[in-house]
Amino acid sequence: MNNTQDERNRKDPGYPGNNPEVNETDTDGVTGSFDITELSGISRRKFLALLSASTAFAVASCSNYRDKGEIVSYNKKPEEVIPGVANFYASTCTGCHNTCGILIKTREGRPVKVDGNPEHPVNKGKICATGQAGVLNLYDPNRLKNPVRISDGISSKAAWSKADDVIISAMNSTQNSGKHIAVLTHSIQSPGTLKVYNEFKTKYPNARFYSYEVFNEANRNSAWKKSYDSSIVPLIKWDEAEIILSFEGDFLSGEGHSIETIRMFASKRDAFNKVEFSRFYQAEGSMSATGINSDYRFRLRPDQQQEFALALLSELNKKLNNSLSVSNGISLAQAVKKYNLSEKNVNRLVTDLYEKRGRAIVYAGSRLPESMHLIVNALNEVLGNTKLYNQEQFPVSSAQLSTPQEIDELVKNMRDGNVGVLIHVDTNPVYHFPPEYNYAEALKKVPLALSLTEQENETSSVCAYSLPLNHNLESWGDYNTRTGVYSLQQPVINPLYKTRQKEAVFLVWSSGNKNAWKETVYHEYLLNSWEKDIFPKLNSPLEFKTFWFTALENGVVLTSADNQAALPRFKKESLASLAKLNAPDGFVMLFKQNHYLGDGRFANNGWLQELPHPVSKVVWDNYAAVSPATGKELGVKNNDKIEVTINGRRQQLPVFLQPGMADKMIAVELGYGRSKAGDVGTDVGVNVNTLLGKFSDMGIYLYSDVKVQKVKGSYKLVSTQEQHSLDELLVKDLHLTRGIIRQGTYNEFKKNPDFLEKDKREQPTIIKEIEYKGVKWGMGIDLNKCIGCNVCVAGCDVENNIPVVGKDQVDAGRVMQWVRVDRYYSGTPEEPVVYTQPMLCQHCDTAPCENVCPVAATSHSPDGLNQMTYNRCVGTRYCSNNCPYKVRRFNFFNFRDHFADGYYQQEPVELAFNPEVTVRSRGVMEKCTFCIQRIMESRAVAIKENRPLKGSDVQTACQQACPSKAIEFGDVNDPESVVSKYRTHELGYHVLADINTRPNVTYLAKLRNTFPEDKE
Amino acid sequence: MIVDYTKEISVIDGKPSFADIENVIAAPLDVKPDKKYFIALSITLTMLAIGGISLGLTFYYGIGMWGNNQPVGWAFDITNFVFWIGIGHAGTLISAILFLLRQKWRNGISRFAEGMTIFAVLTAGIFPLIHVGRSWLAGYLFPYPNEHGIWVNFISPLVWDVFAVSTYLTVSLVFWYIGLIPDLATLRDRTTNKIKKLLYSVFSLGWRHSSRHWHHYEMVYLVLAGFATPLVLSVHTIVSFDFATSVLPGWHTTIFPPYFVAGAVFSGFAMVQNVLIIVRKIFNFEHIITVKTLERMNKVMLLTGSMVGYAYGMEFFIAWYSGNPSEQFVFINRAMGPYAWAYWTMVSCNVISPQLFWFKKIRTTIPVMFVIGVFVNVGMWFERFVIIVTSLSRDFLPSSWRMFTPTLVDFGILIGSFGMFFTFLLLFIKTMPVVSISEVKAVIFGAQPKHHHDHGSKEEPETIRSGVNHV
Repeated sequence: MNNTQDERNRKDPGYPGNNPEVNETDTDGVTGSFDITELSGISRRKFLALLSASTAFAVASCSNYRDKGEIVSYNKKPEEVIPGVANFYASTCTGCHNTCGILIKTREGRPVKVDGNPEHPVNKGKICATGQAGVLNLYDPNRLKNPVRISDGISSKAAWSKADDVIISAMNSTQNSGKHIAVLTHSIQSPGTLKVYNEFKTKYPNARFYSYEVFNEANRNSAWKKSYDSSIVPLIKWDEAEIILSFEGDFLSGEGHSIETIRMFASKRDAFNKVEFSRFYQAEGSMSATGINSDYRFRLRPDQQQEFALALLSELNKKLNNSLSVSNGISLAQAVKKYNLSEKNVNRLVTDLYEKRGRAIVYAGSRLPESMHLIVNALNEVLGNTKLYNQEQFPVSSAQLSTPQEIDELVKNMRDGNVGVLIHVDTNPVYHFPPEYNYAEALKKVPLALSLTEQENETSSVCAYSLPLNHNLESWGDYNTRTGVYSLQQPVINPLYKTRQKEAVFLVWSSGNKNAWKETVYHEYLLNSWEKDIFPKLNSPLEFKTFWFTALENGVVLTSADNQAALPRFKKESLASLAKLNAPDGFVMLFKQNHYLGDGRFANNGWLQELPHPVSKVVWDNYAAVSPATGKELGVKNNDKIEVTINGRRQQLPVFLQPGMADKMIAVELGYGRSKAGDVGTDVGVNVNTLLGKFSDMGIYLYSDVKVQKVKGSYKLVSTQEQHSLDELLVKDLHLTRGIIRQGTYNEFKKNPDFLEKDKREQPTIIKEIEYKGVKWGMGIDLNKCIGCNVCVAGCDVENNIPVVGKDQVDAGRVMQWVRVDRYYSGTPEEPVVYTQPMLCQHCDTAPCENVCPVAATSHSPDGLNQMTYNRCVGTRYCSNNCPYKVRRFNFFNFRDHFADGYYQQEPVELAFNPEVTVRSRGVMEKCTFCIQRIMESRAVAIKENRPLKGSDVQTACQQACPSKAIEFGDVNDPESVVSKYRTHELGYHVLADINTRPNVTYLAKLRNTFPEDKE
Repeated sequence: MIVDYTKEISVIDGKPSFADIENVIAAPLDVKPDKKYFIALSITLTMLAIGGISLGLTFYYGIGMWGNNQPVGWAFDITNFVFWIGIGHAGTLISAILFLLRQKWRNGISRFAEGMTIFAVLTAGIFPLIHVGRSWLAGYLFPYPNEHGIWVNFISPLVWDVFAVSTYLTVSLVFWYIGLIPDLATLRDRTTNKIKKLLYSVFSLGWRHSSRHWHHYEMVYLVLAGFATPLVLSVHTIVSFDFATSVLPGWHTTIFPPYFVAGAVFSGFAMVQNVLIIVRKIFNFEHIITVKTLERMNKVMLLTGSMVGYAYGMEFFIAWYSGNPSEQFVFINRAMGPYAWAYWTMVSCNVISPQLFWFKKIRTTIPVMFVIGVFVNVGMWFERFVIIVTSLSRDFLPSSWRMFTPTLVDFGILIGSFGMFFTFLLLFIKTMPVVSISEVKAVIFGAQPKHHHDHGSKEEPETIRSGVNHV
């Protein structure tokens, strides 16, 4: 070792021993002779005095050291934890019933980021915004930390053992008295959980299980049952559909497994690879996040859609000479006239559906009544579109949801005193259930009501016991929502508080012994049941232990059970008695799923509340969306209030004028207006569950005969983008004229791929260009794939510790998100054409922000990044003023302190922060860094492995999150990389190229698959 | 009426003696301040306190206390800065440029204008320091050797600002002080108060009114005037670079430097005119600061106001002529967009109201000219507001547009800046001669005896010949 070192030194001319000049010097390296008189004349006494004084100063200055608490090293270091290096664990997200596979990033034992598990065959490495932001729920200071007992309105801490004692004895006595033990859950997707529940049922035969989901597929399922006499509704192969006709469908945002759907939908919008585009027609009354991505849009109220769909069906029947009898509606021509539709576009739709039959799909939104689903089933049947039904893989559920009638019966039983113990398993019926049930009143008649919940909510606060549940990331589980796919859930952190997972709680109750509980009770149970029930069926060559650990590592177990099934025969008679929708003169109201908060259960997550609505960009609220024309008729503007009355149920709502809405229709989102949702989520928006009815022919989401009237007062809605009227000539189409959005049609592109060339206005420069050697980072964003879902924003929020600023600060224009999805309207208020565009720091080569900063706090790196030095920044905001893209974000306050009295400064929120990203102080400018921390991490790995860093080594958080893979990142100097191909792509352009900022984000122009004649 | 333009009109009214001049000007310094003075001072101090509280809130909570937002990063803060820097322009222009141009009418007003310059620049200088997010680190804006080896970014106009403003302040201060020395000596000789005597003695630097002193004095004054002259033009030019060098439509304009200088002189004269109208009344300086002098100032305002009006028009023309749609949009938006009220306030105050000065009657009627002066100041404040806020609030990407709404703290700081300026001014008029005694003495009748007559004609004794003065 030493020898080689010496050898290398001898060869190195820089080595002092090899330098002749140095060799000539004296041994101590000083040239020239030594003269004692040149030394300072300081006396020994003085020297000692100075020495002691300087020591004293040094000590004094060191005493300023602030002890920031204990730093304790590992006494016994866990094998898998290396400080500074992240560990990843596969698990399953339980945020909704889709149970996506997730990959959890942990640092020093604490989860900091959740992304999709790439191994998972369904979601393939992507999850939704709710899942991205879900890690904050784990560290939510408002979590229930220990069991709480409420008696006479006074809540007090309770021990688990004591609570279990009381509950078990109450259940035993209920069992003996013959009353019910009712358990109210959400849908059950886990075989393990189902087994636990069954065990509970065996122990307490009087137990009855009820399950509900606020957003369910009841209408679709019952229609399918009628059409095909089958309970398995197949999935749709969106990636094979050439024509899509959707009625009020929101399949890109919340309906079905939208993450999977987005991926498949976007694969038919791949202009980069010149894939043949699908053509997407949307008929809808509300302006949905899916509808904005359509090529043609028919503005039709949900109640009018049935007539239109029926007319379409008979038209196609005629064309196909099909004998399918249809209940007599009006003809298509009449429908077109009646509803003022574009005849040209309707004819195109008919032609498209006819000519591409078998390669087209017709879809009805989940909130539409059963009759619409029946017609859609028939349409697909006559067109032969059933080929696009996936016959290999089906959605499965461990248990059917209760029908509204069953729920009604439960409430009746409660009211009649037939329910002795009522257990809410992570459910919140007091908030969710329509007022007709009068659930809260009925609950008072139940002797012992329990609530198993992560956070106090409307229901738990009126139950005798609130029992705290583990967070998703603290729990074990197995989920099966697709045939052949088991997704495993494993905890990545010990429970932070005295919480238990619901299965463990039930196991203790089933045992009848409060001492049966131990930390591993469900873990062991799950292992056991897998070893006994599932493992033997898999014919795995491995021994169980090895199999199990492999499975946990992968997060999924794929079974190759033969699931091939033929589609049952279509029952023509299903169309015989369609519920007649009355199309009244009054208003129609549609209740929609919100995009991020689920059924309201994520209301306390500030990141989600602050994610802008994909269409309106409104944050922190729901609202009554009405068309501008209807607004005029009602005499209301944005922020005015209306009162809506449905069957005597009233609610006041703020108005939002949404271009593209059908007239005389109101659309509103559920999941807001929680009255007990913690410090963040309480009283955000309006609770419109109170307007829902128990059951109706049209399903519980759609109502006609709605009375609307303007009421006094106003309500401030805030959005991240200003709302301009589409008629305003001054601001109309600026995004097109300024070269922010470049667009064309698919046909144009096919005929002449270079059709945008004339618009590329890259300017020459007189300045000597800086050469970037090695890796230069760049991004490519495909506007054709971007559907405006905001998942990138959520992913960035978590990765980069973006603070929540609150509604008032969004209103003041101080939202902090580093990436935003801009939404632009063209067209008319009635028929808007919508563009979405992710906008983030463009990392310009000639960045205007850099030369105006007086303190050089923002500068350019050799690998082409526009960097921000927080410590140097004094906060002049000049950089932001001079940024043409306005992507810089200023800390006007210490937002963590400012928001909700420092809510996000409480323990243990800081654990959620990404330790690799600085938490910015107030007065500092910040912006997108292209995830510099990920670049540095990859660089460190490359150096360690002694290889050059490649562009493909790095994935930014937004890229990783994007469900449609619209974002690419990499090395633009590498001609083989995707980003450099984006840059040279015919559709590639830079936003505002004419100011010569030379951005490193390349956008692919938006193409719509409209007919070429539409250009004129 | 035949006017003989070859004859210079007397700068001051009447024929006061040297002693009269001295007595009148020094009178306010000899007596204790009266009740009215304290009332005035308490008002300005209250305003200052409001500003102080507003600033305290800003320092404690953050810039979020203001209405500034994304994209409007600058609003009242930089508007106030440019406004006060602009006010500071009249002083140096009057004392340096008009001095070099031998405009004797400046003698009565130069001291006061210079004082206002210094106070305005001091007030303005606060804003670059407080507008930053972390004021405690504002020192980073100055180039000083440090352990990090980091320098300021010399290509940033904000750094140029730091140099321009600090140079301007220093030179104005020195110029002002040099001009004060003979007067301080006069006051030293007049006063009987021991403390005053000591202070005046120290600050008059041993001035004995000897001709040798005068000789040096005149030379230094001339050199300093020459030195200050380019600064008058440079400071606001550089301030305008803050905007002109950016890429923002509405800021990125080559007309800004001359336009800003003209605007600054415009507003500076308006402010000096306003304050002098009050001061000459209170201290009985009507015969020293004559209506004629005020009229001349009004003429300067008419000229600069017209230049500003021309600039407004030219901006529109260039926006159209450039063919740049973003640029065109900004100007249409200013005139017709949501901030049109501010734009039209600006136009009516800055372009229309000074045009009234074409009428001699208006030029010489004190109440009318006072009101116009106030209008001009309001208009010039709005000019900066319009330039900054309308351009920022609607720039390139419509997605990030947002309106700016000021908060109470914004107004508090604006009020505080006026409080600061007028507090300085009030302290000034009670501690220093607000009119230059020595310079006024130089323009009274008989101060400049003549040895020969160029025109060979008999001259009326009241008038002093135009042409080269004998210093």
